[in-house]
Amino acid sequence: MTANIGSLRRALREIVHEQLEFRELLFQMTSRDLLLRYKQTVMGVGWAVLMPLLNTAIFSVVFMRVAPVHTPVPYPLFAYCGLMVWNFTASALRFAVTSLTANTNLVTKVYFPREIFPFSAVAVSLVDYAVAATVLVAMMAYYGIAPSSAMLLLPTIIAVQVMFTAALALLLSMANLFYRDVKYLFDVALTVWMFASAVVYPVDGITGWAGTLLRANPMTAIVEAYRNVLLYGTAPDPVSFGATAALALVLLPFSWLLFHRCEFQFAENI
Amino acid sequence: MATARVTFDRVFKAFRRGERHDSLRDLIPALVSRALGRVAPDDERLFWALRDVSFEVHAGEALGIIGRNGAGKSTVLKLLTRILKPTRGSCAVAGRTGALIEVAAGFHPDLTGRENVYLQGAIMGMRRGEIAARFDEIVEFSGIDAFIDTPVKRYSSGMNARLGFSIAAHLHPDVLLIDEVLAVGDLTFQEKCQSRMKRFRDEGTAIVFVSHHLPAVAQLCNQVLLLDQGAPVRLGAPGAVIREYCSGGRTSEQDEVTISTSLRSVDAVDDADDGALEVAPGDRLDLDVTVEFRRDVDRATIGIVVWDITRELYVYGASSDFVGVPPVRARQGDVRTFSFSFDANLTRGLYAIEVNVADPDQQKFLGIARGITHFQVIEHISYDGVANLYLKGREGTAVSVLRARSIHG
Repeated sequence: MTANIGSLRRALREIVHEQLEFRELLFQMTSRDLLLRYKQTVMGVGWAVLMPLLNTAIFSVVFMRVAPVHTPVPYPLFAYCGLMVWNFTASALRFAVTSLTANTNLVTKVYFPREIFPFSAVAVSLVDYAVAATVLVAMMAYYGIAPSSAMLLLPTIIAVQVMFTAALALLLSMANLFYRDVKYLFDVALTVWMFASAVVYPVDGITGWAGTLLRANPMTAIVEAYRNVLLYGTAPDPVSFGATAALALVLLPFSWLLFHRCEFQFAENI
Repeated sequence: MATARVTFDRVFKAFRRGERHDSLRDLIPALVSRALGRVAPDDERLFWALRDVSFEVHAGEALGIIGRNGAGKSTVLKLLTRILKPTRGSCAVAGRTGALIEVAAGFHPDLTGRENVYLQGAIMGMRRGEIAARFDEIVEFSGIDAFIDTPVKRYSSGMNARLGFSIAAHLHPDVLLIDEVLAVGDLTFQEKCQSRMKRFRDEGTAIVFVSHHLPAVAQLCNQVLLLDQGAPVRLGAPGAVIREYCSGGRTSEQDEVTISTSLRSVDAVDDADDGALEVAPGDRLDLDVTVEFRRDVDRATIGIVVWDITRELYVYGASSDFVGVPPVRARQGDVRTFSFSFDANLTRGLYAIEVNVADPDQQKFLGIARGITHFQVIEHISYDGVANLYLKGREGTAVSVLRARSIHG
């Protein structure tokens, strides 16, 4: 048992080391994807801001006029924060699902650690995330929300979200390589998942099985944690956020090792 | 002796043949039929792409791998680049490895040449600073500086290959793996690539070179491995292995005649140890053909075909009835001999003579003897091309004058 864990740790250290060795390539792949993404668009990086803003407008109409909900901060701020956080994970994963299959040429012809593909999908979305965050800062200023000391926890929350997203990105990209159905299933799952996370409405009022499901969802914990430290000036819920952090800490090494073990079958199965 | 840069030790590689479950729709029925025992067991569906292949390449050496399509050549390179893992045996590469499996594999069509140089460089393991330092050199070598800021999707395939090779050429690897890069690009660039590879080799890079382009293999490599359906046929000096590769089918059992030949030249430079006659361009060659008939034949003609082995080129073909030898009538057991002669108006290279016996009335071959006779044209002036046209010239005379003179004596 101990020997087993020892060899796993060695394998993990090896793949992290390999990744560090190829950091240049991760950087290049990320900048390639960023360049490509905005190359033939007029708005360019503005899309990273516009998409959550448009969604915020739509949901503001729904949840302020059609079916009003009570939120601790003005609804547009509440929704934009949730959508921006959700958008990062969703777009990273949407991009990661096809990251291996869209690069067949590279997967079958050149060797480098294949994690680069899903990881660069996450990195690209992280850049969009940073751009979208500037709008949140502007909105906070507009609604007069002052930063509090709780914001010191922000890096931890970002780290948990990135790890969680990266772990899923590894699993999804690999799954789609072996079974192309994954992409379609994932599109459906993503829509359901968004409404099953507290992205556009508060989780407090919901009881029964739906409430339990909502609270068990790691994305709910992540979205709520951001709102806590950014908008409410409080610490995140230790139980739900702690559980999500623990999940991310276990899931990332697990999926990375699994990815590494299957890597040699990629070229034959793509 | 230095340790090998590339080792390939008793490597076997199997691929699963047949079904590949790309979607769940295919997988579920397949699982059901497997559960019901309707599918052949795994090992029967395995396809052995490589069987027991071993070789070593040291620093400053170049190994060529040749063989027909499907012989397993590219599989060897994919194992060396770690894209595939051997089923049995082991392979290892020591040092910084540059792989030119497909020179432009990492290119993205929407990015400019400049952006792609950085991307491809990173894929090959170069640091940003390294690429930046060699950027001008890379672009200059590729000869496409005018288009470096144009998206690669507007490049021709030749431009793509040139840029791809240039990046790799500036990598300074310890081990270089090359697959068919010379198939693209014009002659000048191909020569540039070849001399660059030779320089790599002389500077101590270990090279594994997979190609159908036999002249390039013969020039670059100091040992050649011939593969046939995944199995190693021969590993040795380029000349001998290339000749073996080209003399694929000898007279077969089904043939209705037995053909043997003897090739001579009065001016033969030297009779090489491995049996290929060495001649100078323009030398006269005498070929004796002996045919033993295994059944009665009313009319038979003898065909002579000359192949350029390294270029796999059909150089010349003629038949005995073209040169005034009437078709022969023979009975079972008859042995007939024929004498032919021709001039080796050829450029430097390795040639094979194919002799066939045909029945012109039935439009069929009674027997074909491929590659049983070889000769090598040796010259040092380095004419390029296929045929020696004996170019003549002098300064200051118009072509029309030259021609008029030759007509009027």
